[in-house]
Amino acid sequence: MTNLEPTKPLPDSEEMEISFGPQHPATHGVLRVMVKLDGERIVDARPVIGYLHRGTEKIFERETYNGAIPHTDRMDYTAAATNNQGLVGAVERIMGVTVPPRAAYIRMILAELQRIASHTIWLGTHALDIGAQSPFFYTFQEREKILDLYEEYCGARLTLNAMRVGGLPYDLTDGWTGRCRAFVDQFPARIAEWERLLTANRIWKLRTVGVGVISAESAIEWGLTGPPLRGSGVKWDIRKVFPYDHYNEVEFEIPIGTSGDTYDRYLVRMEEMRQSVRIVQQCLAKLPDGPVMAKVPKVIKPPKGEVYFSVEGPKGELGYYVVSDGGASPYRLHVRPSCFINLQALPEMVRGQLVADLIAVIGTLDIVLGEIDR
Amino acid sequence: MANPWVAYLLVPLVKIAVILGVVIMLAAYLSFFERKILAYMQIRIGPNRVGPRGWLQPIADALKLFVKEDIVPSRAEKLVYLLGPVLVTAPALVVFSVIPFGTSFTLFGAEVTPYLADVNIGILFILGVSSVGVYGVILGGWASNNKFSLMGGLRSAAQLVSYEVPMGLSVVTVLLMANSLSLVKIVEAQKAAGIWYAVPGFVAFFIYFVCGVAETNRNPFDLPEAESELVAGFHTEYSGMKFAFYFLAEYANMVVISSIATVLFLGGWLPIFPNWLAGFWASPAFAWIPPVLWNAGWFLVKTFAFLFVYIWFRGTFPRYRFDQLMALGWKVFIPVSLVNLMAVGLGVLLVGGPR
Amino acid sequence: MSFWGFLASVVPFELAQGLGVTGRFFFKRKATIQYPEVKPVPKDRFRGMFGFSEERCIVCHSCAKACPIAIIHIQDHFEEVEVEGKKRKKKVLDRYDIDVKRCMFCGLCEEACPTKPVAIWLTTKSYETAAYERNERLYFTKERLQSWDGVRPYPGVVPPSQGQLPEDPTGGSGEAKP
Repeated sequence: MTNLEPTKPLPDSEEMEISFGPQHPATHGVLRVMVKLDGERIVDARPVIGYLHRGTEKIFERETYNGAIPHTDRMDYTAAATNNQGLVGAVERIMGVTVPPRAAYIRMILAELQRIASHTIWLGTHALDIGAQSPFFYTFQEREKILDLYEEYCGARLTLNAMRVGGLPYDLTDGWTGRCRAFVDQFPARIAEWERLLTANRIWKLRTVGVGVISAESAIEWGLTGPPLRGSGVKWDIRKVFPYDHYNEVEFEIPIGTSGDTYDRYLVRMEEMRQSVRIVQQCLAKLPDGPVMAKVPKVIKPPKGEVYFSVEGPKGELGYYVVSDGGASPYRLHVRPSCFINLQALPEMVRGQLVADLIAVIGTLDIVLGEIDR
Repeated sequence: MANPWVAYLLVPLVKIAVILGVVIMLAAYLSFFERKILAYMQIRIGPNRVGPRGWLQPIADALKLFVKEDIVPSRAEKLVYLLGPVLVTAPALVVFSVIPFGTSFTLFGAEVTPYLADVNIGILFILGVSSVGVYGVILGGWASNNKFSLMGGLRSAAQLVSYEVPMGLSVVTVLLMANSLSLVKIVEAQKAAGIWYAVPGFVAFFIYFVCGVAETNRNPFDLPEAESELVAGFHTEYSGMKFAFYFLAEYANMVVISSIATVLFLGGWLPIFPNWLAGFWASPAFAWIPPVLWNAGWFLVKTFAFLFVYIWFRGTFPRYRFDQLMALGWKVFIPVSLVNLMAVGLGVLLVGGPR
Repeated sequence: MSFWGFLASVVPFELAQGLGVTGRFFFKRKATIQYPEVKPVPKDRFRGMFGFSEERCIVCHSCAKACPIAIIHIQDHFEEVEVEGKKRKKKVLDRYDIDVKRCMFCGLCEEACPTKPVAIWLTTKSYETAAYERNERLYFTKERLQSWDGVRPYPGVVPPSQGQLPEDPTGGSGEAKP
């Protein structure tokens, strides 16, 4: 049950402040929200973070660049491939290394599969918070198939360590492309099944339409990225605006919503899964032969300089700011965490709503505390 | 029966023992079936380790609750705290005294009726007694000395009270068709009419069942007791046997609603089309089954069908928010059941009186 | 509003559709694996518990340098050996310890090892490393690394006890592949 402090009535008001979390099944990690309630309405909700801080950015300063990659896996642990992609992309940009096309295409496939995997977790837990218990199991069953593909490729299911500066550590195994194709070909039917369970469901619509609304201007002001931004109608996706790898050679659409509420963000993410399937199918068809690793020295020592490189992770824009002093370890490696910046808009999204909507909004922001706290 | 001691004391005691035994075992095993059926819908198998294929799981759960430490909050109101679970469980079990499981049959040369009492205000008795359960909820929430239990208890009670109105109105449509309040006579009226009341009264059937789901605080109406909510449910502060009682009461209430729905709408112990297919049901394929088992079997099958639908709802639907729940009850179900009542009344008049 | 629209708002057709989805899953094959009677076997590249081969190790310390969290502890000394009539200095391994309780199973040590086949590997397809006591049972010394319950040789390698020749690590069966 909830971890509640004794209520402290604020002076001269009828308001109550209660603490929601950090141990709570619905906060998706160790998030604490100090909620000020007036009766049943939320007046203010202040997230308190830091319960999962592990000093990742300080650890980066003592690691080599390739040794830092396993640490990035553990930030947004539901989407490890895009974390890896961001770091290696940033270092390659400082060094001026071009990754061979086969490696770039495989990276795109891994990243898009990771986007699907992350959205399946989001859907399962979001539906579970709102009360539907079964989609959790259906979505995780599909995620198991993706994790099996990852296990076959790089040996790990969650903390992948699947990319290196200059390319990839291994080539694909025999039959991997066939299995991947089989998975993505049957996946849209699964999405249709989940939609049949939820999208037109009047209870689902009652719980999500009009809940957690944020306008497009507010979203841009707060710096939101990813589905929260696109759900409000702003067409902004790093893969289209600042393309990396070979995203400008594949065709895909950016789904956007209209009203910026939870239902629109739900529709945006479902459509994103379908577009990821489309990207993976095109990449598999276009996969060139060749090496998977560029010519990079054994010990990576980028020249002095700094770079900011961002990728479109499943949660939003994940950016890496690397300052190199010419040595084998970075001088400073700062991460622009997508969930951290998305979470800052929580008070605006829940002001005036009921307590039961707080949980729906935390679910729709799709936060992972590993990335917020690092 | 010659001996009044046997007729008025021994036979009812035996019947009470049988009914209570069956109902409590059914409620306990319902928790097991719920876990298995939910699991099957969720691509997994439920408990299958305790006993053969998991069938001893409820026994293990009951033993666990027996030996759990009984924590009483220090500033809780002791007497009321102890009374809360009792006030919820007792009405759920008492209601079974008027539910008929079949017609009378002979046992050792004497007439035995497979129900405890045939009160001629049966339905009224049921509605009244099951309303006492609301007391248990409120008192349990208040006596825990926890603001959030109290809020949860009040919400739960508000939900129960507001969904009793459309439930009562749908029951009235059945009464219009059957012209009696006694449960045995309602089933006999369905036999005389040759059709289960679910067919002419399908709206009332649907409303009764959905309100029944709300009455038992089950998904999609289980906000007051959901784990992912901010406000704790009314039974947060209870542990051990008292919690077991609340748990038992919830499942027993499910069985109550299902049994009453069976009796009112699905013809109790009657087979499908009892008059039209009377020749088929009397054929030698079924003639070897003794009547008491035949009746009880049909009753059980229909009750299990309802319980399966309860569990199916739990596995599928998201939850209503509390204000939406109340709006649904007052703004949708009550008008619809009122209109349905008038329509059924008109229909009964046109058909020439209750049948 | 049209008749069908009114009907759809009163009769919950889409809820019935949702019930149909869960109802269909009721009859589908279940995904449960009855562990521990049935144990899922990981794929070939699965990064699990360590395997170590003292014969192949050339004590170059590459693995210890590559490890991001420095949990490989190596100590060695030089010894004089007679090889073909000349006195040579050979490195001998004193201590090769891995602190598995801190390991993140990233595989960078395996990637850094220069011998062919590698002397430290994680592809033993073993994931059951749980122990009741953390500090002693999860600290693997050289001897334990080569003898823990379930250890397997590097895939394709035949151990010396089964006839491996020093020059041909695969025992003559072909190229050892990851």
